[in-house]
Amino acid sequence: MTASGVTAAGRWRRFRAATGSRTRRPGAGVWALPAVALVAVLLYMPFLWTVFLSLTRFDGLGTPAFVGLKNYADFLHDPVAPTALRNTLLWVAGALVLPVGLGLLVAALTSDLRHGTLYRLPFVLPYAFSGAGVAVVWGYIFQPHGAANAVLSLLGLPGGHTSLLLYGPGNTIALILASAWQQVGVNSLLFVVGLQSLPREPLEAARLDGAGELQLFRYVTWPLLRPLASVVIGLALVASLKTFDVVWVMTQGGPGNSSETLAVTMYKQTFVANSYGYGSAIAVLLTVVTGLATISYLRWQVRSR
Amino acid sequence: MRRQLVPLALAVMLALAACSGSSPSAKPSQLTLYNDKGAWTPFFNQVGQLSRKDLGLGLKPVGYSDEPTYQATITASFRTNVKPDLFTWSTGGRLGEIVGAGGVSDTSALWQDGIRNGDLSAALQSYYTIGGKQYCVPLNISYWVMFYNKHVFDQYGLAPPTTWAGLVQLAATLKSHGVTPFYQTSVLFSFIWFEQLVAGTDPQLYDDLSTGRASYTDARVVAIMKQWKQLIDAGYMSDPGSKIDPAVQLKSGQVAMASFGTWFSTSMTQQQMRPGVDYGFFVIPNVSPALPKTSMVFESGPLCVENRAAHLDSSMQFLKWWLQTPAQTTWANSRGDVSANPKVKIPDPAVNTLNGDAGSGRYQLINRYFEAAPPPVLNAALDAFGGFMVDTNSYPQALSTIQKAADDYWATHKR
Repeated sequence: MTASGVTAAGRWRRFRAATGSRTRRPGAGVWALPAVALVAVLLYMPFLWTVFLSLTRFDGLGTPAFVGLKNYADFLHDPVAPTALRNTLLWVAGALVLPVGLGLLVAALTSDLRHGTLYRLPFVLPYAFSGAGVAVVWGYIFQPHGAANAVLSLLGLPGGHTSLLLYGPGNTIALILASAWQQVGVNSLLFVVGLQSLPREPLEAARLDGAGELQLFRYVTWPLLRPLASVVIGLALVASLKTFDVVWVMTQGGPGNSSETLAVTMYKQTFVANSYGYGSAIAVLLTVVTGLATISYLRWQVRSR
Repeated sequence: MRRQLVPLALAVMLALAACSGSSPSAKPSQLTLYNDKGAWTPFFNQVGQLSRKDLGLGLKPVGYSDEPTYQATITASFRTNVKPDLFTWSTGGRLGEIVGAGGVSDTSALWQDGIRNGDLSAALQSYYTIGGKQYCVPLNISYWVMFYNKHVFDQYGLAPPTTWAGLVQLAATLKSHGVTPFYQTSVLFSFIWFEQLVAGTDPQLYDDLSTGRASYTDARVVAIMKQWKQLIDAGYMSDPGSKIDPAVQLKSGQVAMASFGTWFSTSMTQQQMRPGVDYGFFVIPNVSPALPKTSMVFESGPLCVENRAAHLDSSMQFLKWWLQTPAQTTWANSRGDVSANPKVKIPDPAVNTLNGDAGSGRYQLINRYFEAAPPPVLNAALDAFGGFMVDTNSYPQALSTIQKAADDYWATHKR
């Protein structure tokens, strides 16, 4: 037994003493078993199966044939990969600027207003709709000669005669706008909760010192709001990296592959092209990218506090 | 101790319940029919009423409208105990895949009886034959023609063309009157114009492309793509991203013509369009007038039974009944489309005439690209053609992309 082992044992004893009799119940592990089993069966086993499939060639029928890292190597040479990566990055940038940025703006402008809830209601309502339903509606708005074209023409703005969903990367930006319409409301709600729970003293002190509204927000409100903002941005980051439903319903990643994201490429390769091995490799890569991005972001947040 | 064992016992019971499948019964009261034709549920129900009367077997259609989800469901069913009694599929490479995996019941005996009784055409047999045996039976057959809005044609004094030059001239006339001549879409059916142009120019080239004996970067294919590009650049094609139903576009006169299988008659009648009055169709003339026969694209969708289906005997009994005249009369008339049973007629005389002419030797039947191309090549082509429609200068890249998929496929498959 090493010195560190003794230390660990000591820690364990202290932990047991601190947590009292609950941890000494011999049946606790058994009671936890169904939940643990569910998570293991429904989450970890499928993930491990996906990792295994990513090392094989498998068309959904017959038996997977082991091919090593070939699927990962193929992705590096796939002509669709740069487009999917570009679009995924656009989604990440778009999700941070629009749903998070606009959500914060709506919250900041309405949190202190009388009847602020009423002003926020139009932004929050779309969150109650399903993603697929929102995509269908926006598909009609953005279709050739659709409502968006009509409004742009009426206002004399460019794009009135352009098919907004046909050309990349413009079609991805149109998709991001459609998604933002739904996401702004929930972010504004989270920010309002954060704003309304801030301590009043620092804000009043800053006001007494003559701070203007912008200075107040920049130097007092925002630093106090940062813990919550970290969570909102983190959630938006993960959701944008996984973007699928809006793209699939509105364009199916097309025309061609012009609006594909990594998640759409994964789905198309797996369930349209029946390349389960290659699709699984993209799924694993997407998981790794999402995990790394989240961990890096959280570490950066912790360090900068 | 007993209290500790309760959750463990519950977990074990749950696991056992999840693992157990339904035990096959001797004869079910109805059969499930999984299909990728969600809009056809009322038609399946009509046949189901008849089968309940004739066989004591009802039909429960489980319709999907999303093709990838449907395919994933069916392929997954081969590996699980949750299996459809009957399911629809497509011929060509996709049928070859599931037969190769050993999942489909042999229907050779049904085909032999059907051809002998005159319930099936021997001409169809090759589309259902793999390794000398037949699998599945025809759910439907369709010929691909050009549907047109008769009122638009009448308004501008136009008649169905008999030559390709006549068709292009007709498009120019319509365009000059502000009517978009042809429907096109970048989703799923993006292959239609490529298929028609290749089959009407060089049917042998079409066959060679499908079987890996010709390259998509061949100069003849490049020339055809340029011809397609000219049609799009001239403004003869509708916007490929439109979400409006093609039947609605045709009814409104937004487009004057749309190329589809004769199953599109069903969509027309659902739009209260009357055959011969509000709409008509014509066989698309060959691009190359020197060809001895007019190339007409043809499709046949199969109705299949898994060989480990829960109610295998009842399902095979249903397939046998399905091929016969009473079932086919109900089925064909419900949809207003051709029946695979040559004895069956429907009220639309134009469709009956076409069905009769198809076997007369005037036409060279061309297997639809969706079935003719191997699945990985088809998937690459659908995306590439969709991209080409919005950027017609991208045809060299489109052809290279398809050829790369073809190279990958034919490297591991017999040409």
